Amino acid sequence: MKKKLIIALVVIITMSFTAPLSVSIRIKGSDTLLPVVQKWAEAYMKLNPETSISVTGGGSGVGIAALIDGYTDIAIASRKIKMDEKLKLQEAGKAYVETIVAYDALSVIVNPANKVKKLTREQLEGIFTGKITNWKDLGGDDFAIVCYSRESSSGTFEFFKEHVLKGKNYSSSCLMMAATGAVVQSVSQTKGAIGYVGLAYVNSTVSDVSVSYDKGTTYVASSLKTAQDKTYPVVRPLYFYYLKTLEAGLKPAMTWVLGTEGQKIVSETGYVPLTAN
Amino acid sequence: MNTRKKLTKTLLVLFLCTNTSLIFAQDLSKEDSLANEISMIKSDIGILKKVKISGYVQAQFQVADSSGTKSYAGGDFPSNSDKRFMVRRGRIKIAYINTLSQYVMQFDVTEKGFATKDMYAQFTEPWLSSFSIKAGIYNRPFGYEIPFSSSMRESPERGRMSQIIFPGERDLGASIVFNPPKTSRFNFFTLEAGMFNGTGIASDFDKEKDFIGHLVIAKSKKNEKIKYGLGVSYYNGGWREGTTTYYEGIETLSSGVKAFKKVTGKVGVIAKREYMGADAQLSIETPFGMTTLRGEFIMGTQPGTSSSSASPSAQPTGSSTTNIAGTATGTINIPANSGDTTITVTLPVTGTVTTTAPNADTYIRKFNGAYFYFCQNIGNTKHQLVLKYDWYDPNTEVKGSEIDVTGVTSANGKLSSTDIKYTTIGIGWIYHWDENVKIMAYYDIVKNEKTKISKYTNDLLDNVFTLRIQYKF
Repeated sequence: MKKKLIIALVVIITMSFTAPLSVSIRIKGSDTLLPVVQKWAEAYMKLNPETSISVTGGGSGVGIAALIDGYTDIAIASRKIKMDEKLKLQEAGKAYVETIVAYDALSVIVNPANKVKKLTREQLEGIFTGKITNWKDLGGDDFAIVCYSRESSSGTFEFFKEHVLKGKNYSSSCLMMAATGAVVQSVSQTKGAIGYVGLAYVNSTVSDVSVSYDKGTTYVASSLKTAQDKTYPVVRPLYFYYLKTLEAGLKPAMTWVLGTEGQKIVSETGYVPLTAN
Repeated sequence: MNTRKKLTKTLLVLFLCTNTSLIFAQDLSKEDSLANEISMIKSDIGILKKVKISGYVQAQFQVADSSGTKSYAGGDFPSNSDKRFMVRRGRIKIAYINTLSQYVMQFDVTEKGFATKDMYAQFTEPWLSSFSIKAGIYNRPFGYEIPFSSSMRESPERGRMSQIIFPGERDLGASIVFNPPKTSRFNFFTLEAGMFNGTGIASDFDKEKDFIGHLVIAKSKKNEKIKYGLGVSYYNGGWREGTTTYYEGIETLSSGVKAFKKVTGKVGVIAKREYMGADAQLSIETPFGMTTLRGEFIMGTQPGTSSSSASPSAQPTGSSTTNIAGTATGTINIPANSGDTTITVTLPVTGTVTTTAPNADTYIRKFNGAYFYFCQNIGNTKHQLVLKYDWYDPNTEVKGSEIDVTGVTSANGKLSSTDIKYTTIGIGWIYHWDENVKIMAYYDIVKNEKTKISKYTNDLLDNVFTLRIQYKF
């Protein structure tokens, strides 16, 4: 009896040492990145069953705030970390690592019933700042323009403001949506609607608008191809932020994300892989 | 038989139907109950999320150059001690933050006792979410160092000037805060302006209310490697003079000594208190780490007393000295063998009598002061080096050796140690252990002007070393 007990104990102890240690990774932040990160998590967990990955959205700002407060291991962001956030990380004694994991084309979408299928940057600026209020001024039918934007905590909101509106403020009549999916849904249901979303979110319920950055000489539609060959002008990097103290632990996952398999998922989900840029 | 069979079948079907619907109903009710529970938990969490509790404690050990050092590095040292442990700050802050309003209270609990630091409410209008009204006890909206949290500051204390002209940093009042919405291109500027008692957190002692305003812009460059801020501040107020005499301006006496001009007026005149300030901040991310530069200059008019240029929290009291001269008459017993002899004598007497006056005379001084911080993170590590320089000149009309009291009569106001300019160089090292813990070692080198008044003919032995550990949550 005593012998059996000793053997059982030895077996248990040996198993506990040989069994792979479970790894848990928390990811939080940008809604733009959610589709690809969820796919990455699923595929990586299949390959590494001992790893558990939880993914939640909320916006780039929310993700970075969670990184500062220690509520996430990786913050995903569709914009660069801000100086205020860097200073907060410094105050908390946290050194961080910034890694670009993919690129994203920002698509301008309208309701499928809308005749207008191409717009210049200047026209987009006019629409979103409230100077142009009717589609008839843009060659469309006579109905009012309804702007949909992401809310101000979103990295997409800031990127669009910086690069398309050239820093000008959004019109107060713009409707601020809490999630990218809500923008797509609202545009698909409202005749005069216009919005902007990451390319991965564009589906058949909305129409993609070709954009011109040379005052109407050439119009380019957003697609994986046009983003890869850099003819589409509104392309932005997507970031992972994590603490330097976790760098070694996250290395296998990061190597996989940046490697062939991870980047293949990037293309399949509608984003632009790193190798293309 | 057929009927029996049919009946059995019907019963079976009915039984099955009843049971499956029961099972289904049970599942539904379970789902409903789960949904209800989740909804209740969400609602409870929603309420809890509005309450934010934070705080920090700063425990420190200090060594001064000499026992009884008068210091702005956490207060004067006891007369027989040049070393001390102390809890410099023990803060607990509770805030209830709703979408457009917040209620904040903050207390300081240390070995010195319990003190209220903040107690205010703030409401934001719902249309633009740009205008807020704030009322209660809170930091005066003047400059950068006053409202900047002590838990974040790279030096143990604010500069000498900040501590003297704004003791305790807070005041009682109400202000309007304007910050354009986040969607606006002018979101980078903030204006705060309001009216305050001017007496700190104590009840006011006069009817005069003070205006304080601060306009600030804060922006980051597009590459998010440079952040800068610029601000201007203005203070306009005063306090009631408690006597008929006040002293303003400096004149040179026939002996060559400088002294305050004496003015006789009436009780209750308002002594002007006016400050103008400009502040700037710059943070740059470099390959050597984050570099932060910060500076602020303030100048103005400060009413005080002969013994202090600090802003008062109550009507200043003082003492008055009266010269007496005359005769005194008394009797003296002279013992003698034949019996004591008593004689009466009258003698001339001169001297002074000091009495505590209910109010002190007001001394109005032109002052200026500034501080500059240079903070350098060592690469991407947790180490940070700090260099700080500040000065406070309480009376810009006199310099060092001009501060003398020789031959100054009651026709003028005497200059005193209150009029001496101080400069402080601070050298520090900070280790940011984690989001909660920070360790700081800091040395203050304090220099005073050399004057002609006793005890201040040379630099005082008043440098202070501070070793502090801070825990913040």
